[in-house]
Amino acid sequence: MATLPQLIEDDIQQLDEALRELIASADATAALVIDKGGFLIAHQGDSCDFDLTTIAALSSGAFMANQTIAGLVNETNFNSTYQQGEKFSLFVINVDEHCMLVVIFKSQSGVGVVKYYAAAAVKRIASQLVVAEERAPGAGLDLSVLNTAETGQFFRKK
Amino acid sequence: MAIINQATKELQVKIVYYGPAMGGKTTNLVQVHDHVQTTQGNKGKLVSLATSSDRTLFFDFLPIEAMTIKGFKTKFQLYTVPGQVIYNTTRQLVLRGVDGIVFVADSQYEKMPENVESFQNLMENLSSLKQNLGEIPYVLQYNKRDLPNAAPIEYMDFLLNNRDVQVPSFSATAHKCEGVFETLNMITRMLLQKYINQSVPQYA
Repeated sequence: MATLPQLIEDDIQQLDEALRELIASADATAALVIDKGGFLIAHQGDSCDFDLTTIAALSSGAFMANQTIAGLVNETNFNSTYQQGEKFSLFVINVDEHCMLVVIFKSQSGVGVVKYYAAAAVKRIASQLVVAEERAPGAGLDLSVLNTAETGQFFRKK
Repeated sequence: MAIINQATKELQVKIVYYGPAMGGKTTNLVQVHDHVQTTQGNKGKLVSLATSSDRTLFFDFLPIEAMTIKGFKTKFQLYTVPGQVIYNTTRQLVLRGVDGIVFVADSQYEKMPENVESFQNLMENLSSLKQNLGEIPYVLQYNKRDLPNAAPIEYMDFLLNNRDVQVPSFSATAHKCEGVFETLNMITRMLLQKYINQSVPQYA
């Protein structure tokens, strides 16, 4: 199974910049890049009020469920989903094979403007992920510094 | 697959609890959530997408940040799948990006066909994601050992732990939190070992 390319600081900075620009342009509250497996990769905006880890896991599950529904109605995919709330709304759009973009915005803002600027952000994020993908694999992080001998009691009972 | 974020020195891994319906997958997560010792703020909320009768509909989700090892923050995301046969599409969705699997088997004699069917289903679903159990660390947990009709461990090993390479198996009584942490620590150790053994990390 293909996986997300390894991200270095420069990649994260670029993703953060794309998210910041999106938030400013669309007057959004928060924006997240998440992996389709449910991991949070990058986020910007006002995150204090939200449990972003859980939002990432649930958004990923919901979006992937929608992809399956798309197949059942003979669509290749539903490229984006929009959930409207009373205070906040959520817009999720596919980025590439591995990732998606989640935008949380005030419901009084129009979804049209969010869609418009999200499309530009998606292009920028996707192109940075291509850069990461094409980077020499040798640039990876050496995980041998992790010592599993210390993990025998990784999780302890109270 | 695991996310290694070099910028923040974070390692994020996904562990999925798989197995037949009513086998104790959700109970495992509830026990971990209730009893895990973490520094304040490192344990997330246990999210259950369940029906009104407390059967898992989509998944249960528990994020935990474990201890920092040599500068790495290790974030674990624990998921369960719905065990009922009809929810197979959901199980496939939850398995996406899995790093390690805990197969929770029900020790009751009459549940053996369901255990075997669920294990077979796990292999099929991994195959649909172009993965297989040879590549993904997994452990077996024989739950409900406190019940009088529990089958012998040897019999369960014969049915479920009969592949070329035998994997660690644990006896458990999840509702009493027996065997829960032993299982979680072993899968954690196995999957971290896997990443360390890869000379060049492949994941971001």
